Amino acid sequence: MRNGPSRRRAALWLGRMRALIMKELLQIFRDRVILFSMLYMFTFNVFLLGRSVNMQLYHAAAAVRDEDGSSLSRELASRFRQPYFRLVRAREGHKGLGLLDSGKVMMVLDIPPKFEESVLAGRPARIQMRLDATYPLQALQAYNYGRVITGGFIPESGRGGVSPPEGPGALPAITSEERVLYNPNLNEGWFMSIAELLEAVTIFSIVLPAMAMVKEKERGTVEQLLVSPLSPFQVMFSKVAAVTAAVLGWTTICVFAVLKPFFHLPVRGSLALFFIVTAIYILACSGLGLFISTIAGNMAQAGLQSLLLVAPIIMVSGLWTPVDAMPHWLQVLTLFSPLRHYIDASYGIFLKGAGPGILWQPVLDMAAIGGSVSVFAVWRFRRQCA
Amino acid sequence: MEISRIAAMASKEWLEITRDRLFFSLAFIVPLMLMLIFRFGFSFDVRNIPLAVVDYDGTACSRDYAYRFISSRYFDFKGYAQGERQLGPLLAGGKVGVAIIIPANFQRDLAAGLPARVQALIDGTFPSRAQTIKGFVLAINGAASLQRMAENVSRTRGVSLSMARRQLQPVRLEVRYLFDQSVSDWSLIPRLIMVVLMVSPPLLTAVGIVREKESGAIYNIYSSTVSRGEFLLGKFSPYIAISFVNAMVLWAVAVGPFGAPFRGGLFFFIACSFVFAACTAGIGLVVSLLASTQVSAIVFCLILTFVPVSVYSGLLMPVASLDAAGRIQAHLIPAMYYTDIVIGIFLKGAGVGVLWGRLAALLVYASALMAAGYFLFRKRRAA
Repeated sequence: MRNGPSRRRAALWLGRMRALIMKELLQIFRDRVILFSMLYMFTFNVFLLGRSVNMQLYHAAAAVRDEDGSSLSRELASRFRQPYFRLVRAREGHKGLGLLDSGKVMMVLDIPPKFEESVLAGRPARIQMRLDATYPLQALQAYNYGRVITGGFIPESGRGGVSPPEGPGALPAITSEERVLYNPNLNEGWFMSIAELLEAVTIFSIVLPAMAMVKEKERGTVEQLLVSPLSPFQVMFSKVAAVTAAVLGWTTICVFAVLKPFFHLPVRGSLALFFIVTAIYILACSGLGLFISTIAGNMAQAGLQSLLLVAPIIMVSGLWTPVDAMPHWLQVLTLFSPLRHYIDASYGIFLKGAGPGILWQPVLDMAAIGGSVSVFAVWRFRRQCA
Repeated sequence: MEISRIAAMASKEWLEITRDRLFFSLAFIVPLMLMLIFRFGFSFDVRNIPLAVVDYDGTACSRDYAYRFISSRYFDFKGYAQGERQLGPLLAGGKVGVAIIIPANFQRDLAAGLPARVQALIDGTFPSRAQTIKGFVLAINGAASLQRMAENVSRTRGVSLSMARRQLQPVRLEVRYLFDQSVSDWSLIPRLIMVVLMVSPPLLTAVGIVREKESGAIYNIYSSTVSRGEFLLGKFSPYIAISFVNAMVLWAVAVGPFGAPFRGGLFFFIACSFVFAACTAGIGLVVSLLASTQVSAIVFCLILTFVPVSVYSGLLMPVASLDAAGRIQAHLIPAMYYTDIVIGIFLKGAGVGVLWGRLAALLVYASALMAAGYFLFRKRRAA
């Protein structure tokens, strides 16, 4: 190989590569637990989690403590309605705290006595919203909706004389029209199903190559490979190629058997582009896996090390909570997570119809991360073998 | 069952763990590192949403309106865009999460007492984020609108500004956040103990136990006089101990450097955490008995613990907001009960009186795992 690529050498090189890749693929598909795990993660898990998750405020149990009991207080209470709130009947005289303590409701709305009287007399009427803030996101959303509901609450009977003769149009009101792009119905399934697919891709593309390498090391079969006419690059790359092929295959199954038929996920960009981007992502993740394999002495260590890598990558790359809310140093660190760029690229392709004009940057980032990590891993491996 | 044999098994396992220096240190480093990363990486706080504004009016009034968004701590102003056409790539590339479009003649219309209509374009890729953004836009716009109307009413009808406000918005809403006055951090930190315990000890236990199987050293056990109960207890106890120590370390980090309040009883917390540590190590035990290789044990563990933890544990969303199938799944995983326990103890000061049901569920879970381990482990392999 060092003497320059002649055609025969190249053919030989490719032939060896093919044999090695076949061996790796066989190893992946013969392990029943791995096969079952991949089947589960790429189909059932995507289906189940995509269906059941809702991070928005939805059917939040709310109790009303109406000490006024007037028609106006009932009218106001009735505006806290589905799909955001679900009114729960509170027992008479119940302070509502017990309900909040036990987590039976997430909100208690207190309407004080003489509420109607105050409103009709033009005196300030205050109502209180007590929110269980142990789910901060939902609490904040509940408060936002509460503000909008009470802010717009001008009872027909209680305009207190400001009712303009020409109707409300004569006041300089500013109305805002919110248009949600890419997922106008805020369909959580679109988000979750893609998220779970990305999670599956990430787990297998990091763990499988790492384990395959460490296994050879632990069993001593790596020595056999090294005395054979194979370069360290070939040994490592064959594992990566096999994992890429397997994960890409399962991704295809997931897209056509789960995402499209069950979630009616729109594919606004090019699917071919998505698979190319995915292949690059898998290569980048495999590089990380190979890197682990060069620092782990045995499988047990490699297992814990991959957890140390996989868990932060999946949890802190912007899928579950936004990167913008993280401290700056961590935002910079997330740039080294290939998943962060893959999230941009894949949601971009599926929902936003992003094309090469937008995608080149995340793809370049992933390639840079994967490339440098892989080179480093091969270098370390070569040194360890020498 | 003989105590000395269990002790011998346990000490052998302990030596095996501690002699692998890297493995032993990882057993404690991994939970700590994850706690640290999640503490900063997981924020329930919605802020710094990248914002762009298109101002077709370009007047003092429209700038004033835009400034209400720009100055809000929820938004991070990225700049004015020249027109809607510029917004397309910004939103598609994720550079901007929300864009406010102020129409021409905004000032003129409002000054003439006419209503005006602004537009907000929101990136819906992450639906819950989009819903939150929508809420902020509605609230900020509502305040701006009320201000304009009140000024108008006060001028035209000769009433005071505060009077006009009251007439336009007769009901004021006050909010009180219970249990977590910081509305984000406090409720996150106890949950992180749950997440870390849910992902780290199972994997540790599974790889620790299955390696004996893969290397073939297990045949020594098959042919020895150690009974299966003794073997399992001895083998398993060091891992429970490590998991429990980790739980205590995480607790110390939570109430110490992370500053989470701890309002309940420490003894009750220790008891619950011990049972939960037994549960999580127990998951690892069962996995190790089902899987025959370490690779499959690791993958299996990740699927059983790490994948469901973000959704079915009450980490991000209340279990009550899942659909029926999701709620059933959530009840099958011990994480949910422990979430209720840590939130109850840390933030609500709850004790046995409220949380005994959850502790009982964890006890049932732990015993079921032990029983499963006992029945899955066979000294004689099926022919």
